[in-house]
Amino acid sequence: MKQIDPMDIAELKAELEALHSASFGWALSCCRRDRAEAEDVLQTVYLKILEGKARFRGEAAFKTWLFAVIRKTAAGEYRRRLLRSLKLIPGREDASDSSSPEAGPVATFERSEVGIRFQTALKTLPARQREALHLVFYEDLSLREAADVMGVSIGSARQHYERGKKRLRETLDRADVAYGINWRRKENADAV
Amino acid sequence: MELTGEEKKMQMLFSELRLADEQTVPSLSATWNRAQARRFRPRRAFNFSFAAATALLICALASLAWWSTHWQRAQQPIAVAGTPSGILPTPKAPEVTPLYNGTPPSKGTKSEPTKRSSSGHRFEVRAKLRADKLSAQQEANLLAAAQKQAAAISGWQSPTSTLMNSANDDLLKSLPKLNESTNELKSFLPSTPK
Repeated sequence: MKQIDPMDIAELKAELEALHSASFGWALSCCRRDRAEAEDVLQTVYLKILEGKARFRGEAAFKTWLFAVIRKTAAGEYRRRLLRSLKLIPGREDASDSSSPEAGPVATFERSEVGIRFQTALKTLPARQREALHLVFYEDLSLREAADVMGVSIGSARQHYERGKKRLRETLDRADVAYGINWRRKENADAV
Repeated sequence: MELTGEEKKMQMLFSELRLADEQTVPSLSATWNRAQARRFRPRRAFNFSFAAATALLICALASLAWWSTHWQRAQQPIAVAGTPSGILPTPKAPEVTPLYNGTPPSKGTKSEPTKRSSSGHRFEVRAKLRADKLSAQQEANLLAAAQKQAAAISGWQSPTSTLMNSANDDLLKSLPKLNESTNELKSFLPSTPK
């Protein structure tokens, strides 16, 4: 196992600190809004970086690289969780007991009807479409950067993005979200 | 990327979600410290899948070893029976462990070794004697079988050898008696003065 020297760790930590909030949001999205799982994934990602298992080689932007690592780790954790549920591998003793959706302070938006409906609509989307929308709207990434994070071509990313948008709009229409927005109308001056 | 009206609305919803998430983000130091603590924690000692795989491997190796030894044992007598009689080891006379020291056993008295040995030792001696007898008998049987085979091989005739026999064999195989025939011819010739 390659060790990272302390200087590099300090630099990495500074960069991670700047992106910590966004990383957690992305981890949340990758873990289907499960806070405990997202924290676990983020911990594992930091551990991978500390141990040198995940190394930034400068081939992409640091944010893109970090998000790709988070995505892969979340997928791995999900697989492991599935196996654990089938009792094929033993449960982790050090599973974090820090937070759960109920335990932590729940934000107003999440508690609101609009928030709940929006999150429900997001959950109905296929993973790829949800990822594309999250990366573009939540993380303010371009489609190219989103494609890099998702590990797909820009064409695929665009397709996921367009389909995701359409599907999300349809779901929200069905749920009659009244967030000051009527999705069927072309423009709503009050909303934006 | 330029956003259209619908996209702006979606972005607004996402930004609301981001704001809500930012309020509940765990601190970096806590996550970092926990990751560092996990780094120095000893690895899990027991891995079920690894243990199962190891057990399967051991079972496979053990069964292979067992099978190979039994297979060799099963092949050995056939190999011995197949060897020619000259190669066969001469049967050894069974080594009989004397139970008696020459003197006939009298009523109530026991022979010397029996006296000394315990009942377990006696049983061992008898078992050894029986095993020796059995092995000698087996060897004798093998030898007899090998000799019978050797005899059968030496007296073997080709099934087509009878085709070589014919009615004129005597004429063909015997040499012509030239002197006799000339003498007989001379008797018919007129005598010529020398």
